[in-house]
Amino acid sequence: MTDPATLPPGTFLMGQHAQSAPPEHQPPALATVTEYPVSFTGEAGEYFRLWIVNIALTFVTLGLYLPWARVRNRQYFYGHSWVDGQNFEYRANPAALLRGYLLVAALFVAYAVSGQFDRTKWIAAVLAVVYAAAYPLLVRQSMRFQAVNTVHRGLRFRFHGTTGGAYVAYLLTNLVASISFGLALPWAWYMQRRYQGEGLAYGSARATFRGDVGPFYLIGLTALGLTVAGGVVIGVPLFALAAALIGNLDDVDPTNLLSSIPFVAAAVAGYLAVLILYVVAWQYVRGATMAYVLNNMELGGVVRTRATFSPWRLVWISVTNSAARVLTLGLASPWTAVRQTRYVLGGITVRAIAPLDNFAAGVGGEASAFGEAATELLDIQVGF
Amino acid sequence: MTQQNRSITLQGVYFDGRSSRDQPATLTLDMQTATLQVEGFADQNWPMRTLGVEAPIPGVRRAVTLPGGGRFETRDDAGVSAWERATGRNRALSGVRALESRWWAALAALGVSLGALALFVAYGIPALAQQAAFATPRSVLATFDRETIDVLQGGEYFGPSKLSAARQATLKAEFREVAAWAGGGYPYRLLLRDGEAGGINGLGANAFALPGGTVVMTDQLVALAKSDRELMGVLAHETGHVTNQHGLAGVYQALGLALVTTVITGDIVSAGTFAAAVPAALLRGGYSRAAETQADEVSGKYMLKTYGTTKPLQTILARLEKEDSEESGTPSRQSGPSIFDLLRTHPGTPDRIQHLKQMEAAGKLAPTR
Repeated sequence: MTDPATLPPGTFLMGQHAQSAPPEHQPPALATVTEYPVSFTGEAGEYFRLWIVNIALTFVTLGLYLPWARVRNRQYFYGHSWVDGQNFEYRANPAALLRGYLLVAALFVAYAVSGQFDRTKWIAAVLAVVYAAAYPLLVRQSMRFQAVNTVHRGLRFRFHGTTGGAYVAYLLTNLVASISFGLALPWAWYMQRRYQGEGLAYGSARATFRGDVGPFYLIGLTALGLTVAGGVVIGVPLFALAAALIGNLDDVDPTNLLSSIPFVAAAVAGYLAVLILYVVAWQYVRGATMAYVLNNMELGGVVRTRATFSPWRLVWISVTNSAARVLTLGLASPWTAVRQTRYVLGGITVRAIAPLDNFAAGVGGEASAFGEAATELLDIQVGF
Repeated sequence: MTQQNRSITLQGVYFDGRSSRDQPATLTLDMQTATLQVEGFADQNWPMRTLGVEAPIPGVRRAVTLPGGGRFETRDDAGVSAWERATGRNRALSGVRALESRWWAALAALGVSLGALALFVAYGIPALAQQAAFATPRSVLATFDRETIDVLQGGEYFGPSKLSAARQATLKAEFREVAAWAGGGYPYRLLLRDGEAGGINGLGANAFALPGGTVVMTDQLVALAKSDRELMGVLAHETGHVTNQHGLAGVYQALGLALVTTVITGDIVSAGTFAAAVPAALLRGGYSRAAETQADEVSGKYMLKTYGTTKPLQTILARLEKEDSEESGTPSRQSGPSIFDLLRTHPGTPDRIQHLKQMEAAGKLAPTR
């Protein structure tokens, strides 16, 4: 997978060692493994000021400043992420992003407005079909954009995933997943992560994803079990409570139920519980997938990542973060973002059998900002 | 131009852009040239304007981009900032950074953001919702009416009217006059329905309007009225909701509010729950006090023109209120989930009656309508 011609000779040799080693364990003393902890040095107070000032500027400029705000927020997080004494850098061009945003917004307005009138409905239909057909392309564009604008040690990341691969990972798998009533959903996650992992490159060093589909099913089943068990734990007492209420007040018109305080309280509690259950299950899938992917990534045959964070702890952080955001009407967002990033990055280790300053620059993978703008504005979940 | 060539010397780390090697380096900047010294390599010189400097991010090393993809990073923020000021680079984003580093600016930004948000919620969303409601094509409104009536019929909110055919015909004929006066080009129609057709969702004595011009009135309201003038006052009020598109504007407004809430609180509320909330907003909605007053004014104008008084609507509003308070012992009717619950449970009936009285007084003082 690595192209020997473009790699420094040392890297290539050590890559050979790594490939001949047993996959799960260390190469036994052939090369010394150096561990580089990843760390995050952002601070909630500092980020809060950046965040709120950029929000205010976005309001004041009626949204035109939005791409600059987005880029600055990202730059803060990238710039405070460190591996081996060097930080990351986000290099997107806000002006290009703004053009992308405006184009996407214009298309969206055209879609929404033309859908309203019978005579122009066909425009909306055409736009919807084009969007569905181009969706994998947009995802690919977005990944290329993100990768090529991520810089570490002066080298850009790249994304070399093919268009065909994108259609398999983001159209075919989703179709199969919906036809199979979700049975193939973990397989879809696997295919998408594999597409992302295998396409990634740092400089000229290609990444490989050594994962398998099985663990994704394990993650999916755990989340499903969690949802079912949680549903029973929440549903049974609520049902009992409702039954007790109706039993006690059997002479009262059922419509009165809506105004009875215990009933409303129970309904609100049930709704909140379902919401929390949803967040828990989904965050578990995200956290566990991220940990699994990180544990199975390899870069140029010489660098591997290891996740030591716990998906369950991440779930706890996500749930409490959501609660904090709701209770503070969003004002705690900077704190929650810093808290989560610090935990995740603090739980990642980079393990290398070659010095990290031995990578070479690569070419290709440039992308326009359109895909990125589309995926951000239309809230496409690219994941990772 | 070459007055005092103050040069700035920065210590930092250099990446050549071809490998990931970090090399300690010194960058010397004066007004014309930049010189990079890396140990073990010959010095490199560039004209000043070919260099770029990246916008400052709080707490992050400053980066100078060099021709050929090289990159120089330094912790000497003061030095880079001085050079930025001298050469006029990154003016705007340096200003942003200055704001970001001060708590008072953050507080001011918070105030500006909350103010902008409050303005948007208080004025922006209602105005946009009203525009959207007026812009919604009539064909959509008609579909909307039809579907809502189907839902209501299916949900046992009402059944077929038990009024005699002759009585129904009279009421419909009278309503046509109201509708002709109300105008706006809506295909008005009056539906008479039994509001106590057995279901638990019964509407009781009630009337409501749908955005496309469909007005529904229950047998119970007809029975409650002592004269048809009272009923026409109510129906004129309903046409006021149609011509001002209060119903649809309310729905759009709820949508906008939900959207704002979603954006603020993050992704906790999924799109699914968001979509599920729309019919609920539609059915529960009711109108704002301002919308009620506006519809009362429409009705008041109609009554002043036709009857010379706003008394009919006043009396029936008062009677509805009285009926409600008498029936408060049987809560099934008062607190049942009535939809478009404008006449019954809307607060402030005394205020509304007062307003109608004022209209009448003003109308009599100045007989020019």
